[in-house]
Formats: sequence, C-alpha cells, structure tokens
Amino acid sequence: MKRTLDTAGLSLLAIVLLGMPVWMNIARLNVSLGTSLLLFGLAAASVNILVGYTGFMAFGNAAFFGVGAYGSALFSHYIMPDNMIVSTIVGAVTGTLSAFILAPFLIRRRGIYFALMTVAFGQVYYFIAYRWSNVTGGEDGFSISRPHLFGPNGLAMEGATYYYYVLVIFVAVMVFLWFLVRSPFGLSLRAISQNEVRVRYLAINSDKLIFKALVISGMVAGIAGSLYSMSINFAYPLLMDWHQSGDFVMMTILGGAGTLWGPFIGAIIYTLAANVLSSKTETWQIMIGALFVICVLFFPKGILGFLSRASTTSEREDVDTTLDHVHTDALAQGEPG
Amino acid sequence: MERLIPEIVNGIVLGAFYAIIAIGLSLIMNLTGTVNLAHGSFLTLAGYLAFTLLQRGTNFWLALGISAILTVVIGLIVERTLIQPLYKRIPLYSLLLTFGLALIAEEVFRLIWGPQSVPFSTPASLQGATIIGDTVLPTYRLAIMAVLALVMVLLLLFMYRTRQGLRLRGAVLNREMMAALGINTQVLYMMNFGLGIFLAAVAGVLASGLIGLSPTMGNGLLMPAFITVVIGGMGSLAGCLVGGLLLGVGQSVTTLYAPAASEIVTYVLMAVVLLIRPRGLFGEEGLFG
Repeated sequence: MKRTLDTAGLSLLAIVLLGMPVWMNIARLNVSLGTSLLLFGLAAASVNILVGYTGFMAFGNAAFFGVGAYGSALFSHYIMPDNMIVSTIVGAVTGTLSAFILAPFLIRRRGIYFALMTVAFGQVYYFIAYRWSNVTGGEDGFSISRPHLFGPNGLAMEGATYYYYVLVIFVAVMVFLWFLVRSPFGLSLRAISQNEVRVRYLAINSDKLIFKALVISGMVAGIAGSLYSMSINFAYPLLMDWHQSGDFVMMTILGGAGTLWGPFIGAIIYTLAANVLSSKTETWQIMIGALFVICVLFFPKGILGFLSRASTTSEREDVDTTLDHVHTDALAQGEPG
Repeated sequence: MERLIPEIVNGIVLGAFYAIIAIGLSLIMNLTGTVNLAHGSFLTLAGYLAFTLLQRGTNFWLALGISAILTVVIGLIVERTLIQPLYKRIPLYSLLLTFGLALIAEEVFRLIWGPQSVPFSTPASLQGATIIGDTVLPTYRLAIMAVLALVMVLLLLFMYRTRQGLRLRGAVLNREMMAALGINTQVLYMMNFGLGIFLAAVAGVLASGLIGLSPTMGNGLLMPAFITVVIGGMGSLAGCLVGGLLLGVGQSVTTLYAPAASEIVTYVLMAVVLLIRPRGLFGEEGLFG
C-alpha cells in the first residue's frame, strides 16, 4: 500500500516538475518562480539534514546559502565570466568552506546554545558582505549577468533552459540525500538525534559526525544559493540575514522535518504564499508571521507528518520521539562527554 | 587619549545595554528553554509606547515606568496564550513562534508609527554634559548607566535575597522537583518571563533616546545580546554583565581605529572565547549543553 502511494506521489512530482514551464505559463507566472521553488527546496533540504535528521536547531543556514550566492557571483564577475557549470561548482565549494570554517565552533555546543550560535555566527558573513563594499557592492548588492552553460559559445541559460539546468542539479542533490539518509552515516545522524550520549557510549565520535553533517548542509545550501543568485542576477547581503535562515527553517517544519520531501513541499507552499500575499497586500509580513504562529501551534509535524500520521507509518513516529528525547536529554543531562 | 576615553564611556553604555538585554534573554532561556527571538520587538514596543506618552507631555521617568509596565503586561499575555503551550516541546518550536511574532510586530510598528525613525527627545534636564578634564560626558549617557546599574542591583537582590528568586534559581536546576515541592511552576514561568520583558522594556526606552527609534531598533540590539549570552556563558547573570561590557567596549574602541570592523570584532571575540573556554566565561559545565 505504502509503496503504491510512494510511486504515485513520485510520478505526480515528476509531472509537476518536468512540466513546470508549461504550468507557469498557464498560470501567467514567470518560470523563474518555478526555479525559486526548487532552490528554496534545496535550501530547506540543507536545513533538514541538521534539524530533521540530526536533531540540531540550525538557525543560520542562510549564511551558507548567501556565501554560495556571493561565491559564484564574485567568481563569475572577477575570475571566469560566462561559465555556468564552473560557477555552480564554485558556489558549492564556497558554501562548503563557509560551513567548514564555522563548524569547529558550532560543534562545541548542543541544544539551544547551538541554535544561538548558529544565529550569531551566521551573521558574520552578512557583515563581511555588508562592509567589504568595494568588492561585494555592500548594502546595494552585486549585479551579475547569467553566464552561458560552458563558455561564451555554450547554451544560453534563459527562462525554461535555466529551469531545467536547475532541475537536473535539484534531482541530483535529492538522489544524493536519498542515499545519504539511508547510509550508515545517515543512520548515525538519526541515532544522534535520538540519544547522543548512547551514541558516544558506542565509541562513535558524534562531534565528527555533526561536523560532517554541517559541512554537507553547507554544501547543499551553497549550491542552492549559487543557483539562486544566478536566477535573480543579483546577490545581496540580506540573503545571509538570520531572517532568511528563519524562513528556511519554517519551510522545513511546514513540510515536515525528517522526511526527504517534506522540506521541498514546505518550500513550495511558503514561497507561493509569500508571493501571492506580497502581491495582494502590503501587510503580507503580518500574514507570514501568522503562518509561523499557526503552523507551530497547530501543525508542529508539518504537512507530511500530518498526513502520515493518518496512515500511521512508523517512520514518522520515530522522528517524533527523537525530538522529545533531544529536549529532555539536553536539559537533564547536559552535554555528553 | 582624549578620543579614547569618550569611546570607552560609549562602550560601557552600549555594553550595559547588551548586558541587560542578554540577562533578560538568558533568564527566559534558562528556565524554559525558549530562545526569544521576539525580545527585540519588546524593546521597540516599549520605545514606541514611551514615545507616544512623551508626545502627550508625560514626564520622562513616568513614561519609562508606564511603558515598561504596559510592555510587561503585553508580554505576559503573549507568554500565556502563545508561548506557554510550547514549553513541553523542543525549543525549536518556540524559536520559530517568536520569530513569527517578531515579523508581525515589525510590520505592526510600521503601520502604527510609520516606517521612518521617529524623533525621540530626551528631557531637557538630561541633555547637558559633565566635563571632567578634557573629557565630555553627556548627562543622558550617565543617566543610562545609573538606571541600568540600579536595575541590575535590584535584579541581583531579587534573585539572591528573596524567596521568589530562590525558587526561580531552583526551577532552573530542576523544574520537576520544584513542582513536586508544591510550588506552582506556571507562576514561576510567568514571573520569569515578565522579568525578562521588563529588562528589555527599560533598555528599549533608554536606547530609543540614545540611538533613535525605528521599527527595527530592537532587532539591531538583539544580535549583540545573543553574542553576549554566548560569551558570558549560559546560565550566568554575571557572565552576561561581563560579556556585555567586554563586547560594548571592544566594539566602541574598534570603531575608533577601524570603523568597518566594528561588527566583525564581536564575532572574533566570540570565536576566541569559544576556543579557549567553550562553555563561555562564566558558564556552568554541564548546564544547557
């Protein structure tokens, strides 16, 4: 039963994603909105690695996202213009590096302290972009023209073509994550979220695993950020602000943390809601805030969690208890080791 | 030197703000595990309430008191209706909820008081300056230091010399045990949250007179307050005080020599503290991971 449901769901998803330029055309929307949906989905997936699977409250992933955005924007402006593939790789590398630099500090703490540190440390890149204005354009941001696929004579990355380029990368990352969460590494992360003390008793160095999770999360966020800056032809400091991180966490929770597709579904709903609301009313920020409040109070397990509770799959319930364990452990036992 | 001393004074004032906001944050965090991202909104709210009162000709100190009390009342309503249901869940949810509240608050401030900063005037009696040698010390800054110091002393007396303070400290260590001893922990949560918001409100009104009042005023002060908590160590009021002053003075002095680095220096400070002493300067080992 579950298998048929999964197949049906995936086929539906494939139809929606492959036909996106057509659907967007019918709805009289720009295909770049479809691109944004994929990219925010990736950003939320990067949060999900930490929040959903490892049980760590990562509230600073916009930093990695923004570094990826600036990384490929600056690279394609100053070093190698007109090469999309290399720019994307550079975005992934800078995103990874940005997490690699912060991870040694972040892994030192757990629980709410970790959350605080991700918020605080995330802002460091924001201020660098903001203050280093002769290179980054400071507050005004940094405009870029979208490069061709591979050198000036390559395929032009306009509209639907760019969408499909992003879609290929999106699918690749999701497949990577599918394997990741089923690998021994992914299972160890889940174990950490359930009971880190016990994981350490098994002589597993949880710090190292969390370090890796952070770096992978940085890489995925960096890819998303890089492609996003190329999509809007622009990189600006607010991409790295903690408000942006909050949006990413919200998307993850809204769709369902700890599930592979939940964050993407959350990203779709959140982005479409923000888009519609901001075009209809000037006070849309209030509505988005209200969405946060309502979702937290009434749908804490997100949409996928809500649905799968109806069909009682055991997988989700595991994740639930996990989240509660983290809390009691963090309060009662403090830091392991 | 004649430029350094005023900067150090500025730094101490700034640091006192960071400290008082950080203490409020940390009180709420320690007891209930709630990272209050809406803390900055309460600062701004108190500022705007005081601004409205001042426009009607209320005395400055009276306006400070009234707006602080009103802000605490609003804070308690929010705590009871929205945050309290989340105490049993993991802290991520209250983090998200207060984040949503901060978004709502910012927009509401914009709707009521306009998107631009408003002219928040300090009373004439506080506008002069004291001159010691070559150094000019504005009276308002001295008044801020005096008020914040007074608030800090009162808070410490409350926490360490009263029965309610003892209960609060006990509940931080073990909530279940407190409840088992017949103490109404819900009342403790309310009192604790109100206390945190009160500190934020006082800081908000005073800061409005110093750095100007706009819908985003409080959020600008929130981030350094977070860093203060990390540097000082969670669970420690003294840590917040020392961390805040360290941060404020560090930032001000850097502004003098390298203005562009004034924010970055706070992060460098945080990184150094975490490398040398991961639990923060005064943090207790094992408490709050």
